[in-house]
Amino acid sequence: MSGGTILEIHGLNKHFGPTYANRNIDFTLRRGEVRGLIGENGSGKSTLLSQIAGLYRPDSGEMLVNGGKYDPHSPLDANAHGISMVMQELGVIGSLPAGVNVFLGRTGQFAKGGIVDLREMNRAAAAVFEKWGLRMPPLNRLTENMIIEDRKMIELARALSIEPEILLLDEVTQSLSLNNRNSLYELIARYRDMDRSVIVITHDIEEMIRITDTITVLRDGQVVGEVVSAETDPDQIRMMMVGRQISGDYYRDDTTPDCDGETVLSVRDLSVPGELEDVSFDVHAGEILGFCGLSDAGIHSIGKAVYGLIRGSGTVHFLPTDVNITSAPQALANHIGYVPKDRDREALLIHASIRDNAVLPSVEELRAAAGLLPPGRVNSMAEGIRSRFSVKSTGIAQTTDALSGGNKQKINLGRWLAKDLRLLILDCPTRGVDVGVKAAIYALMKEAKKNGIAIILISDELTEVLGMADRLLVMKDGRVTKEIRRDEDFTEQSVIGVMI
Amino acid sequence: MKTDKKAAKLRMSELVPFIAFVVLLVFFSIGTGGKMLSSYSLKMLIEQSILTIISGCGVLFVVAQGSIDLSVGVNVALSGVIAMHVAQSTGVGWLMIPVALLIGLFMGLLNGVIVSKCHVPSFTLSIAMLIGVRGIVNYIQTIIGVEYVPASMLFITSSGFRIAAFVVIAAIMAYLFEFTKLGRYSRAIGENETTARFVGVPVDRMKILVFALSGLMAGCGALFSMATVGGTTQTMGVFLEMKVAMSIFFGGVLVTGGSSAKFYKIILGSLSITIIVYGLSLMGMSDSHISQSVEGGLLLLILFMTIVSNRKKKARGETAAPAPGETPPAEQT
Repeated sequence: MSGGTILEIHGLNKHFGPTYANRNIDFTLRRGEVRGLIGENGSGKSTLLSQIAGLYRPDSGEMLVNGGKYDPHSPLDANAHGISMVMQELGVIGSLPAGVNVFLGRTGQFAKGGIVDLREMNRAAAAVFEKWGLRMPPLNRLTENMIIEDRKMIELARALSIEPEILLLDEVTQSLSLNNRNSLYELIARYRDMDRSVIVITHDIEEMIRITDTITVLRDGQVVGEVVSAETDPDQIRMMMVGRQISGDYYRDDTTPDCDGETVLSVRDLSVPGELEDVSFDVHAGEILGFCGLSDAGIHSIGKAVYGLIRGSGTVHFLPTDVNITSAPQALANHIGYVPKDRDREALLIHASIRDNAVLPSVEELRAAAGLLPPGRVNSMAEGIRSRFSVKSTGIAQTTDALSGGNKQKINLGRWLAKDLRLLILDCPTRGVDVGVKAAIYALMKEAKKNGIAIILISDELTEVLGMADRLLVMKDGRVTKEIRRDEDFTEQSVIGVMI
Repeated sequence: MKTDKKAAKLRMSELVPFIAFVVLLVFFSIGTGGKMLSSYSLKMLIEQSILTIISGCGVLFVVAQGSIDLSVGVNVALSGVIAMHVAQSTGVGWLMIPVALLIGLFMGLLNGVIVSKCHVPSFTLSIAMLIGVRGIVNYIQTIIGVEYVPASMLFITSSGFRIAAFVVIAAIMAYLFEFTKLGRYSRAIGENETTARFVGVPVDRMKILVFALSGLMAGCGALFSMATVGGTTQTMGVFLEMKVAMSIFFGGVLVTGGSSAKFYKIILGSLSITIIVYGLSLMGMSDSHISQSVEGGLLLLILFMTIVSNRKKKARGETAAPAPGETPPAEQT
């Protein structure tokens, strides 16, 4: 990180309506530097990156790349200046195969007599994946049928395919499981060695300190400070982000496992071809049972299988009502809740109102005589969820697409906690939310635990599972390989050792 | 304020169908020199709309789920023709009511099971039905010919009875659509089927249910159709599915269904469509070629508007300006 300046920003402003997203930003990036951008949701990190990447144009201020004026009109224009970005929200086109998505907008270079040579293009795409050590999804498959992680890999390959001098990564790691995260870290390190620069946004403060050289902290659209990663600690950054001291103990502080309550769920010999093999476990009232594993380990399938969304052999026995769960409607009727990983595609009706989303799992409970769902009761329930979980919004009639990730997740989780649940399945509940909302979600989990709800916590964040779970099941290739209790060897090292 | 503007724009798009209705009414009132507002015309207008609404209010549930049922027209014909024949040949007049409803229901169930269990797109299936069943109806009619409402059932042909029956049925259907689980789940399925499934909505059952309901209402529509004309005709239910679809979309429901589906929209839409068709014939353009091409043009216009507003809606979801205090767009998760 001794190189000269590659990117300079002076006095940059950007506002949306009356809200300033970026105010008077000054920013300098050197060659071979890995810079972190951190701040709460809404602090303007993504807006800043989007302007560098040519998605938005600044209202005022100037940008210089290699000393020359830089005013990109489009992402392709930015590419021409050696800058490319992987966005937080998915930027692949579902109806196109993976290979085409890698060269989106640039397929012309593979044209022969007006026809794109797909084989040649896929070969080039494969070369990109291989060069950077990224896990390659099947290139001929449509991306709409892929999991988030694979789609993210495609976007990453697309950004890398132009060999950028500056690579912008907006919340990429949060969609990845541990092994793919590690390949990303290696990639970033290689970038540094090649004397190229990276700007990273991540909500995970520990991760950021580990992988960056310097960190810029943003608050309310302004730069509030710049620190050298090697000389800082999470508490200092957290304090800079929110502007006040916040207690760092949002995880549990005890080390006693609490798994002696009555058994709520008993899973025996659960197998789903290609996903799960002979999985057996029990969950008890008031217990948080954590699941972790690498990307193909099958942890996400556990949630789906328990909630009856995928079926195989074996039994999922729910004891309070003594039934075997075989379908999602049945799980819903039996006071089980499920918060899936992909918030926008699997959990919320994104274009519908907060009200419609909030009451969706409680329609049965709202029913009065003659099947009536009384509008008064519907409204007061939605209003209750909105205020109890402090969802920042203009009202229950607002559509959820305008809300931030954290507020969407509050609705997503809150609507289940508003029910009389016995078992709650959480799949990556804090994906893409800032520290404030994260802390709120952990507090809600502790409260639910105290109320005797059994919780299955599936997460790609190892620290989260270690911080919250009573017991931890480590999975590999669809099997449970190890069980660790909170009072045993409950550390990252011991878990990672089993995961790989 | 950006949010106010956005809200205003939203309200604006909700208002378009109302404005279209008023403009059409004024246009044809002037164009026909006031004939449009005569009591006879208004009665015709209402009776024509009633038939479309009754046959189409089941389709509204299907559209809310993001599917389409284009088989209502032939279903009206099939259930009407058979019901009337049963009533005539047995001499038991009232039998026409249960028979029409049961045949309608059966056809709807068949559609629903095929769509949900065999994963055939509803558009393709109902087009196939539209063609295939029409053939069967024509074949039956070449054998039994046109039949008239039996004397014992003539009371259904009085417009007073029909309007009263319409009000009761429409009220029940509006209630079902707006205030019950069936309506709420249907809109949720149209918004995002995956989400509905993941929450635990019995999606397959809901699909079968709404197609069955659509069929049942087609059977009901058959009774209204025969009550209006006095019996079966060779052209029974012809083009009715298009009128129904046009009414729903012209009323402001998006082809993708979801929250945009509201019960009042089919009423508003069918009134607008009827005004156009009836107004054109009053203006002396009763020549069916002209009125048909106008209807075709309208359908195109509606589809175009729906696609454009859909695209806008999508764009809004992806790059909407944030509300004050919210995150900028790129940061929305």
